[in-house]
Amino acid sequence: MHILLIEDDNDAASYLIKGLKESGHVIDRASDGEEGLFMALDSNFDILIVDRMLPKLDGLSLIKKVREDQNDTPILILSALGEVDERVKGLKHGADDYLAKPFSFSELLARLEALNRRNLPDSSSNLLEVGDLKLDLLSRRVEREGEEIDLQPREFKLLEFLMRRPNQVVTRTMLLEGVWEYHFDPQTNVIDVHISRLRSKIDKPFKGKQMLFTERGAGYALRHNE
Amino acid sequence: MNNPFNLASFRLIFIYTLLLSVSFGLVLTFLYFTSARDIQIEADQKIINKVEEINRVYLRGREKGLFNYVRGQISRPTLNIYRLYNGSNEFLAGNIPEPTDLKINEDGWVEFTFKMNINGVEETYYGRGRNIVTPFENLRLLVGRVVNNEIKLKDRFFYSSLWSLLLIIFLGIFGGYILSRNFLKRISDINKTSKNIMDGNLSERLPTTKGKDELNQLSSNLNEMLDKLDSLMTSMREVTDNVAHDLRTPLNRIRSNLEVTLMSNPDIEQYKKSIDEAILETDNLIKTFNSILSISRVESGTSDLETKSINLENLILDLIDLYEPIADAKNIKLTSEIEKEIFFDGNMNLLSQAIANLLENAINYGSSSSKPFITLGAKKNKESISLWVSDNGEGIRDSDKKKVLNRFVRLDSSRSLKGSGLGLNLVNSAVKFHNGSLKLLDAKPSGLIVLIEIPVS
Repeated sequence: MHILLIEDDNDAASYLIKGLKESGHVIDRASDGEEGLFMALDSNFDILIVDRMLPKLDGLSLIKKVREDQNDTPILILSALGEVDERVKGLKHGADDYLAKPFSFSELLARLEALNRRNLPDSSSNLLEVGDLKLDLLSRRVEREGEEIDLQPREFKLLEFLMRRPNQVVTRTMLLEGVWEYHFDPQTNVIDVHISRLRSKIDKPFKGKQMLFTERGAGYALRHNE
Repeated sequence: MNNPFNLASFRLIFIYTLLLSVSFGLVLTFLYFTSARDIQIEADQKIINKVEEINRVYLRGREKGLFNYVRGQISRPTLNIYRLYNGSNEFLAGNIPEPTDLKINEDGWVEFTFKMNINGVEETYYGRGRNIVTPFENLRLLVGRVVNNEIKLKDRFFYSSLWSLLLIIFLGIFGGYILSRNFLKRISDINKTSKNIMDGNLSERLPTTKGKDELNQLSSNLNEMLDKLDSLMTSMREVTDNVAHDLRTPLNRIRSNLEVTLMSNPDIEQYKKSIDEAILETDNLIKTFNSILSISRVESGTSDLETKSINLENLILDLIDLYEPIADAKNIKLTSEIEKEIFFDGNMNLLSQAIANLLENAINYGSSSSKPFITLGAKKNKESISLWVSDNGEGIRDSDKKKVLNRFVRLDSSRSLKGSGLGLNLVNSAVKFHNGSLKLLDAKPSGLIVLIEIPVS
């Protein structure tokens, strides 16, 4: 991915650039809002990472200007303001995702990945397919190897979320926000239990062909080998 | 400042009294003169009638007739005055001695005084009348009436008016002085107390009385403001203390862990392990830190958290949906008793998190029995909504109940389960945000019931 990082703090920027380069991305950096806006509008990036508090032009205004220019590059806000209402404010200004500082790097990578895939032309088909796993959004049928799997409504929603992001790491927070729409950290491993339930239905009966993987220190991924 | 004459309220009362006295005085003066005139006109009319009668008597009987008439009139007691005398001022007939201080007004009325001895007491009488002179015999007849009563009446009216006027002025000014001194004392009390508070005596409060006047309202409002500021300051101080105590410990752990790893000449695996541990610890620190921040934000009341209509049944069912698998994994039966159609205005995220915390607490600490179960309930009362989470675990001792609502309080001293000790504290703040109350009750035969009541309009 070609990413533009608009961040005024040099230490934070260098650590982000290092991490993102390690993960195989190409990074450009702007250190204030005006430079960031110029660069964002000048060349084609896959994703913009925007800090909210920037000199010269603040992050929210920058995003608004980018959107006013009919530019729909996915934008991720990084901000020390982590409350739900701040997040809502950010999304209202045209950002696609919002990550509060401090964050874990795996969370950032997972979200960047998700944003990048979102940018791909998505088939509006009612049938999701990952390997031999099929999910029909209309009839709400799920089958693997042609065998029907009986899922609870929430398990269905969870699987749908994962199948829309095949071979991608999704974090627990992303699942909690995307499937349950909660914006708080549970102290218990609720998500893990949901995943293991789902796994017992879509993986366990089909020995040897695991699809739902736990990504250590990051989250989960639904994978299949092409 | 202690001089009431400088006080606006006193000046106001003074001016008011002055205006009242002047207008009252004007009214009294008017009344005095009109009634005095009426009394005089009535008395004069009687004399005029007498004069006309005498004229007729004289025309009929001349000197003799006049003489007989006077004699006849004075043969019985009367307030009328007759004194007949000739040109050389010789007394001929009549009922009074020679008058003194005789004064003839321009309009022909005669006013005079005379002294008479009745029943051995000499008294001064005031008379008013007219002088008649006969054209031929040159006789003079003074006809009039004793006006002592009228004068007395006029005097009494005059003096009572004067006294009531003085009384009004006195009461107005004196009363105003007393009232404003009272008022002034209360203001100076307020001033004194605020100065005390400014000097650092932060727990002191302004004096209030039972009344509901403006001054009292001002005092109670200021007191409420002080209470609010006080609790804000206390919670801020608590946050600082907590950060100092409870965040230092894990920070120290991370530091020591990393330092010791460096000292022991480690291989790459040991490095990885050490760093992994450090990341885990910092993640927990961040979580704790976020919790403290959101609690403070909710408690400060300054947050602009949005509220909207919430369907309580949906909210609870969603949470049960989230926690049912983990309860199931621990063999805990999670059930619900929810009334349908409970709507109220609140903050969705805050409330969800609060109930989630209660559920997590129940799952982690309330599942000690052999057949553990947790019940989530909600019902609508007349003016409130009740919401409860109950378990059949060990419950909480009465002595600990108040304590557990505070920050960083964890009852299991071993701290075998991970947790920040902020769960119930956040629940408490969320309930306070919704103007509700939180109660910790004992379940029968054992267990804890956390009961939340939120008022609805």
